[in-house]
Amino acid sequence: MSDTPTRDDRNRSDGPAEPDQFLPDSDPTEQVSADTPARGYSDAQKYQIFNKEFMPHIDSMYNFAFRLTTDEDDANDLVQDTYLKAFRFISSFEQGTNAKAWLFRILKNSFINDYRKKSKEPAKVDYQDVETTYNSEDAESEHTVDLRAESVSDLIGDEVATALNSLPVDFRTVIILCDIEGFTYEEMAKILDIPIGTVRSRLHRARNLLKEKLRDYASSMGYKEENEE
Amino acid sequence: MKEHCNHSADCLKMIQLILDGEATDQQLVRVKANLESCRPCIEMYQLEKEVKELLTKRMEKRCCPEQLVATIKSRILSFS
Repeated sequence: MSDTPTRDDRNRSDGPAEPDQFLPDSDPTEQVSADTPARGYSDAQKYQIFNKEFMPHIDSMYNFAFRLTTDEDDANDLVQDTYLKAFRFISSFEQGTNAKAWLFRILKNSFINDYRKKSKEPAKVDYQDVETTYNSEDAESEHTVDLRAESVSDLIGDEVATALNSLPVDFRTVIILCDIEGFTYEEMAKILDIPIGTVRSRLHRARNLLKEKLRDYASSMGYKEENEE
Repeated sequence: MKEHCNHSADCLKMIQLILDGEATDQQLVRVKANLESCRPCIEMYQLEKEVKELLTKRMEKRCCPEQLVATIKSRILSFS
């Protein structure tokens, strides 16, 4: 378990506190609250917003957390942290706007601030490093990976999940947000704090990488078929 | 039917925009015309579509554990 419960306990009775009192790294909702004025919701309204607008997304949030951390305990901690933060900063959420994107943004920032840096997982590479590696001309021409629609149609969920999990986390994230959660590029840009052009190019590279991973599975299946014949 | 595409890198980007529902009407018209006459682009489109469907339909969706939902709700109530 993380040290988060201690922080929560300490601030439980404080009411609205300054973000830096209990968020040692940075306020995950800072930019959200910067462009939306604080709203004076009553306690009853806060609970209503929480239950009606936040809780319905908890399965999607758990999936996102699990795909980011690839660990059940970390996913539990991350989802709990995210929902407690969302409740504390509920006055910066404008009722009726996109709650799911708002929550995903908090979760993603919490992941970067609290989980990613203490993780020992080697696959968690900073995007800048990866971008340099894959930004070459070679990467552009590699899009015609020797892979056909028919050859991936037999892949099962586990193989797709393994291929996805093997991608660096920044690439994994854009694929989850776009293909699994169905966010628009504009929503993704807000969640990730990057320009739409970067969303587009990162997604493009992420998919090329994923197809390379899937090709390995597809060709291993093809190899088996040849042996059987 | 074209058997080679000289601008497949750009075509692939357009195909992804279309599948993501992010293409403009103008882009849609252009790519649709191309998709009727270029074999590599047709195959590329089918592959991109298949991979996207793998991710949307075949990935296991995990539900949030009920215990976690209960914990979150009780923690929120304790704030007041």
